[in-house]
Amino acid sequence: MSSSLARTVRNFWRNGIKRSLIQIATINDTKSGDLVGIDDFGNKFYETKNEEEIHLRTRWVEYSNFWRPDISQVEPGWHYWLGYGTDIPPNQLQPNLKSIKAYPEPPRHMDNLTFTDGAYIPYNTARPKTQTWQPKVAERV
Amino acid sequence: MLPAKHTLPLIRQSTRIVGLRFISSKDITPSENFPTDTPVLSKRPNANALDYTFTTLDKIKNWARKSSFWPMTFGLACCAIEMMHVSAPRYDQDRLGIIFRASPRQSDIMIVAGTLTNKMAPALRQVYDQMPYPRWVISMGSCANGGGYYHYSYSVVRGCDRVIPVDVYVPGCPPTSEALMYGIFQLQKKMMDTNIHRMWYRSY
Repeated sequence: MSSSLARTVRNFWRNGIKRSLIQIATINDTKSGDLVGIDDFGNKFYETKNEEEIHLRTRWVEYSNFWRPDISQVEPGWHYWLGYGTDIPPNQLQPNLKSIKAYPEPPRHMDNLTFTDGAYIPYNTARPKTQTWQPKVAERV
Repeated sequence: MLPAKHTLPLIRQSTRIVGLRFISSKDITPSENFPTDTPVLSKRPNANALDYTFTTLDKIKNWARKSSFWPMTFGLACCAIEMMHVSAPRYDQDRLGIIFRASPRQSDIMIVAGTLTNKMAPALRQVYDQMPYPRWVISMGSCANGGGYYHYSYSVVRGCDRVIPVDVYVPGCPPTSEALMYGIFQLQKKMMDTNIHRMWYRSY
């Protein structure tokens, strides 16, 4: 049973009023579970082992950014874990399991800046194939 | 009046654009306080009670709009299958307040999902014209974005933005349901960023 009154009251009791209200405002539900890890952005990742929870709704993220949360603020490894690609969260990966990148990794994961001041704006480097017409007034005879 | 060193070169007089490369960019760039160097209206911080009032009105209106996100389904091809997955129980668009409407008169957003052919283009434009203001458009998939696989076909419009204005482009062939949901969330952010009332007040 996912959304019963007893479950909501229990989650309010476990999480506290403020965090429960934040959860209702962001994910329309109250959820309680174990904190698995925190990434560089400060997003908190949770998992619950409760058998009564709905299948594939047992892992979730609570964003540090309340007003403008975005899934691109989640690091790729954590995103893979959230989508049930792996059962090992990236903060518990053993060194022999980590992939070796052929390129230098950026110091900080970039999030999507669309609709903000940092948005990518495409530009053209090709020479224009057309010319604008510049009108000239011919002298009347 | 501008000081003499701010006099910009007349670009229109140069016959070839390539000739402009002989001018250093630091000569074109104004260095000090330019007379127009004031913040634009939308970037100005809230100063008085009217500013706060109109900003709050904007936020309430935007929140209501983004919370009742009623798309007109324009499923044209295989992208529509992924669009149906968003409404199915796994992604469950109803929990986000998204309800597909069959009539353009009752919808706010049009999701163009799939290849737009020449034959369908007038119908697309007519359905778009029948939607009431305010209206938004999500272009879903490569074919709707720019023709995609059928870009060189004789019968396909090379992007639905040749017919209607588009707010959000979702890439992919077809995009996953998660990608479409991310596009929907991006459009909701765009809705929340509009501040029509505040700009109307500040323009006076």
